[in-house]
Amino acid sequence: MSDLRRLPLVPLALVVVVFGAVPWVLTLFGKGYFFQVADLILIFVLLSASLHLVTGVAGLLHLGHAAFYGIGAYVAALMGTELKLGFLWGLPAGGLAAAVLALIVALPTMRLVSIYFAVATLAIGQMIHTVLLNWVAVTKGPNGVMLFSGIRLFDIPVKGPLAVYFVVAVVVALSIVAIHRLGHSYYGNALRSLREDDQCADAMGVDTVRLKIEVFTLSAFFAGLAGGLWAYTTGYVSPQDFNFSNSILILAMVVVGGLGSLPGAIVGAVLLILLPEVLRGFGDLRNVIVGLVMFGSILFLPKGLIGEVSALALVRRHFVRPKGEVAGREVGW
Amino acid sequence: MTTTRRIILGAALVLPVLSVLPASAADAIRLGYQLPLTGNTAQYGQDFKTAAEIALDRFNASGKLPVKVEIVYEDSRSDAKEGVAIARKFVDDDRIVGVLGDFTSGVSIAAGQVYKEAGMPQLSQTASHPDFTKISEWQFRNITTQAGEGPYNANWMLSKGYKKVAVIAEQTDWGQSVVQYFAEGLKAKGGTVVFSEFFNRGLPDFRALITKIQREKPDAIYTGFFYEDAANFLKQAKQLGVTTPIFSTSAAHNQKLIELAGADAEGLSLTTNFLPNSPKPEVKSFVEAWVKARGAEPGQFPAQAFDAVNIMLEAVVKASPNPTRAKVRDALAATKDFPGVTGLTTFDANREPQKQLSKARVVGGQFAEVEN
Repeated sequence: MSDLRRLPLVPLALVVVVFGAVPWVLTLFGKGYFFQVADLILIFVLLSASLHLVTGVAGLLHLGHAAFYGIGAYVAALMGTELKLGFLWGLPAGGLAAAVLALIVALPTMRLVSIYFAVATLAIGQMIHTVLLNWVAVTKGPNGVMLFSGIRLFDIPVKGPLAVYFVVAVVVALSIVAIHRLGHSYYGNALRSLREDDQCADAMGVDTVRLKIEVFTLSAFFAGLAGGLWAYTTGYVSPQDFNFSNSILILAMVVVGGLGSLPGAIVGAVLLILLPEVLRGFGDLRNVIVGLVMFGSILFLPKGLIGEVSALALVRRHFVRPKGEVAGREVGW
Repeated sequence: MTTTRRIILGAALVLPVLSVLPASAADAIRLGYQLPLTGNTAQYGQDFKTAAEIALDRFNASGKLPVKVEIVYEDSRSDAKEGVAIARKFVDDDRIVGVLGDFTSGVSIAAGQVYKEAGMPQLSQTASHPDFTKISEWQFRNITTQAGEGPYNANWMLSKGYKKVAVIAEQTDWGQSVVQYFAEGLKAKGGTVVFSEFFNRGLPDFRALITKIQREKPDAIYTGFFYEDAANFLKQAKQLGVTTPIFSTSAAHNQKLIELAGADAEGLSLTTNFLPNSPKPEVKSFVEAWVKARGAEPGQFPAQAFDAVNIMLEAVVKASPNPTRAKVRDALAATKDFPGVTGLTTFDANREPQKQLSKARVVGGQFAEVEN
């Protein structure tokens, strides 16, 4: 019994589902469509989880997340077409470019609080979108960038929907583990203290401005990775894919799933990408139904599908080393 | 877990099961049509759907094929995410031998990457991006690109003695091509572009732009916009007392322009290859069917969609019996002098449509064909 309890059952189960059950079932159906939807879900899981760090954990309302997603996509795509540097260069470069830009814009804006911060991120998002749209010489403007070279790993072309799915799944899974470790740690607790009362945290010696800048930059890095994945799985990026409504979509995933809860952010992304697809049979009504589901979930589950408290309990139970193995005092995580 | 949460999660699990589409007649040949039926550009997608329904009903009634042809409509919301997923869905359906759409170039190109990989003929009624047909041999379009329309308009204006032209266009891939090809055509024949600027779609206030144009004192203004922006621009130009002749492209040819701008639309000159009041029998019967379905006259885009569907259906007939995607593609590529409501259409070696353009002007609240 005690041996069994030591096995990390839930994390193992998740790995089995993402890398075993899902691709197995999708291969049984043998359809590119299901893989496409699965890839899209994974990309938005990463976007939603990265925004969860800023909005859910640190409590900063961020209305321009899609712009950093766009920076990652454009950098990855342009590196592929202009510099002939493939996926292995483009993906991290996309993430880093988004992070660097986030750092630059974060320095002046992080002094802002609450609604003023939200409006500032809205403006940043719109500025980046406008630059992507109008800086024709570099971004090709509204024409977008067509990326003909597919994913290659060390000169081996990744062909077929199953292989692409695995590449996307590995990148997203590793990122989620990193986000999980960031959120469920002393560092995550410091971020949560910002959300609860930043003045109090400041008084306790937490460097709130530095933390805000760090979390904003980290979140942009993961959004940039998601952008690189989008560029390489679609083969075409255009400014319209990174407009304000996409920022709102990502924000809705975090809120519907449960603010401050990583499982919630993941479930929210799965729901809001999957729902419009499975509702295709309803024709024009599908947008209404998606709207009703979002409205209903906010009305009946204001804390989200998986709220922060239950998410933390879940994490404590299944994702932390069992008691006894930890030497010394038991505090925090 | 609370009861409400259980209900909501349960509903989320049951909904996918409900959405399984009813299977249709086993022998029917299928075409896919991806278009925005909801969202910001829904009005265009709805028009295309009506046009496609008219074309398909006639085709199935004509008995040209022993089996029925069906069109599967999928709503892309002009969103590349959805467009790509739809493309995979169409490719997965073995009965689908050809695809129409999408509306915007961006979504058409994103979906085109899937069709290129899978080998599915794609014919868009409106994707005018210069690179769309360059994706692969599977992409076709039924819209004259600005490569043809730009120089045509430049010649028209020069023939009227307008040498100094101000050019404005929306900031989209299409608007870029409007300015580029027109400027090239005008310069080649000795004219000059005295002013050129892009504006973002849906700009509510053109007054600043109009004032800047007036400062340059051009002989004429050339515009690349759709009817919504056109109506705003024409109204505000009239308010500011602009008397310079205004020219535009076939994209502004829409009855709604006259509804929105009223008398301020008078005198707007544009190119078109579809005039609803044309005496040609095929145009008359299409306009009649359209008015019956929608109550107003069709514009340029529904006519392009109507022809695109008919060209695709014709290709399916040529590829029959047992049409395959490859056979339909070859039949599409061989389309020559197809008699549609937008004139004779031939696909050239680059799968671009060759069409005749005509000149039109708004006179007395109507688009009327003019000599010059």
